[in-house]
Order: sequence, then structure tokens, then C-alpha cells
Amino acid sequence: MHEKIRLELIIERMALKRACRILETAGVSGYTVLPALSGYGRGSRWQRDRDLSASQDMLVIVSISDEASIRNVLLELHELLDQHIGILNTSRVEVMRPDRF
Amino acid sequence: MDLMLSTLLSPMVLFFVLGLSAALLRSQMTIPEAFAKGLAIYLMMAIGLKGGVEMSRSDISLQVWAVFAAGIVLSFCLPVIAFALLRWTSKLDRIDAAATAAHYGSISIVTFVAATQVIKAAGLESSGYMVAVAALMEAPAIMTALLLAQRGQKKSPSVAGSESGELYREVLLNASVVVLVGALIIGWITGEAGMERISPFFVDPFQGVLCLFLLDMGLSAGRGLRQGWRQLDFSAIAFGLYMPLISAAIGGVLAWSLGMPAGDMALLMVLAASASYIAVPAAMRLAMPKAKPSIYLTLSLGVTFPFNLAVGIPLYLYFANLIQG
Repeated sequence: MHEKIRLELIIERMALKRACRILETAGVSGYTVLPALSGYGRGSRWQRDRDLSASQDMLVIVSISDEASIRNVLLELHELLDQHIGILNTSRVEVMRPDRF
Repeated sequence: MDLMLSTLLSPMVLFFVLGLSAALLRSQMTIPEAFAKGLAIYLMMAIGLKGGVEMSRSDISLQVWAVFAAGIVLSFCLPVIAFALLRWTSKLDRIDAAATAAHYGSISIVTFVAATQVIKAAGLESSGYMVAVAALMEAPAIMTALLLAQRGQKKSPSVAGSESGELYREVLLNASVVVLVGALIIGWITGEAGMERISPFFVDPFQGVLCLFLLDMGLSAGRGLRQGWRQLDFSAIAFGLYMPLISAAIGGVLAWSLGMPAGDMALLMVLAASASYIAVPAAMRLAMPKAKPSIYLTLSLGVTFPFNLAVGIPLYLYFANLIQG
């Protein structure tokens, strides 16, 4: 098994393209976007399907890459999260095929 | 009084009230997101096609161009009044006040659709080109709000990952503008012959689909109100009720000065009075991410939309009838 870094970013739908541009420009090998169904934070619940504009929907971006690539994106993602609603975390993971990341 | 009662007891308003009550009582009833979006597209296509067909019957006169210009001017100017009133009467900061003002300069197409049905039921006529006025009034308010938010402030650096032109794409090419303007042009090109072929889908079921959609709008409004009311103080809620009246009065004066007939005057008043909750919230998340959606969405969807549907539309129609009827 080979060690890599997994980045998980939960972010509002309207900022998705901005986050994806940051990841692509920094050269991460890939990412996957998943819908977030509902959640709770700062004293209130939120749920998908509740707003026709979908402007309050949240999404999850998952990217597994080498440490250098992930470090490249952290500063810009931090700046993005200064403006947009979201949560960012990274963790060490083990992958079977390192050439894919 | 009869008009107000018949509007309040119409199936579309009663279905809206059903949805609103269900949400306020914490019912688990939901309408799937994709289905609700499909209904919205259907309604915009139907109203666009109908407007286009009516426009194809006659040439666009100078007066129609003047109404188009009036709609654009209204959308540009109403946010200035809304912003000033919010800053003067409420505790909202500059960003929240500007974002909320944008919603009140733009329009709600569902309020417009509901108003066309009330006008029809009252035995009045409205012109097809009013659909084009609705489309023209979607975007200018957003530009005014951006200027209001930036006035006197240092130019803020662009948000990380942003791209030039992304806001304009969102504002000018959002689904409601594309579908509404597209259907209007298709209706204009194909005329009555084209409409005859698709009327079993776009004309006959229209009222039923509108009821279904308003049931969903009631659910959205009720949930928004339940979750967001804590963010609003009395002055902000009052704004959601008196701002549509001010906007409608300005729209009415403009319509009167242009010599518009009662049905069209009522529609211009409705467009001025309505507040966006589809196109503008999305644009605001891009342009002013620091503004709180719980404030502007709760006000436009939870306060102003139900007010216009139940009280505003019959009131505007009554005054339009009184002035031009």
C-alpha cells in the first residue's frame, strides 16, 4: 500500500466551479463531486430540495493526490472559504495503485 | 372585495396555502427537486410560448418599446429605493441590504403567471409582450445591487478560483431567462399554427400544473419562513410587506403615463412588486457570497411572495381597473 493525501471539501454549489478551477490549475490528478443531502451547523439545519434556485445546495469534492499537489491548493482553497460557505479537511490514506494519483 | 375573495378562494392560492400550512406544521410532505424544476421549466415554456404567439399577431409598436424601456428602468431603479429603505429602517449591513435590494428590483415569474390567471378570470386582457418585459426585468437589478454594495468601499480582490464573465453568464444565461426568452421567440416564429399543434400539452393542463407548482412553492415558503424568521427583525419583515406596495405604485404611475390598458398596467405593477427567488439568489451567491441567504430568501419567498399572491395581485388589479378600466 502507498500513502497519499485525501482532500475533502464540503462547499456550496455556487462555488463549485471556483473550487474545481483551483484544483485543476494546481495539477491534482483528479477529483469526484458528490451531492450533500442535509446537515447541521451554527445552530440551524439545512437540507437539499428546499430552495428552487438550488443556490443553498451543498456538494462534497473528494480528491486523492500526492502531498505536494494538495499543499499547492490549500492556500487558495482557504481564500475561497473566506468568502464561501464550506469546510475543508485532509487526511492520510493508503491506496493500492499509486500511479493513478 | 369580490375580486380579493375569488383570488383567495382560487385553486392555485388554496394549494399554495396547503403547502405553506403543511410546512409550518412540520409535515414531511415533499415534492422531488427534479420534478419541481421540471414544473418550473414547463410553466416558463408555456407562458413564453403564449406571449410569443400573441406578439406574432401584431407589429411591435413604439409604445411597446417604451414599455420595454420602462421595465428595464424599473429594474435598475427599484433596488436603490429598497436599499435606502433597508439601510434607514433595518439593522441590515450594506452587503445584506444590497443583496436583498437586488431581489426586490428583479421579478418573480410565478407571481407573474399567477397574476395573468387572475386577470383572465376577471375578464380582462393582457398583452403577450408583457412576458418579454418580465424577462428584461430579471437582470438589471443585480447590476444596481453590485454598485450599491461597492459604493464608497475599496475594490475587493476577486474571489479565489473566479473567472471573468462568470457572473454575467449566470445572470444573463440562467435557466429562467433562456427558457422564457427562447419560448417567446419560438412562439413568435411559429405563431398560432404552431401553438395549435402543442396546445394539448401547453394550454389545457396549464392551470393544473400551476396548482401543483404552487403547492411546492407553499412548502418552500413555509420551510424558509420556519428556518429563517429568526434572522429577521420586525423592520425587515415590514419591508417585505410595504416594499411591494411602493414598487407597485411606481410601476402603476409608469404604466399610466404610458397609457397602458388595465390588464397590462396590473401586470407591470405585479412585476415591479414581485421579488426574485430563483435567478437572483444564485447570482448573489457568486457576486456577494458574504450576504446571508437566510435574510434575502426568507424575505422574498417567505414574506413577499405569499403577500403578493394573496393580497397584492387583487389589490394591484383593483387599482389598475379603477384607473384605466
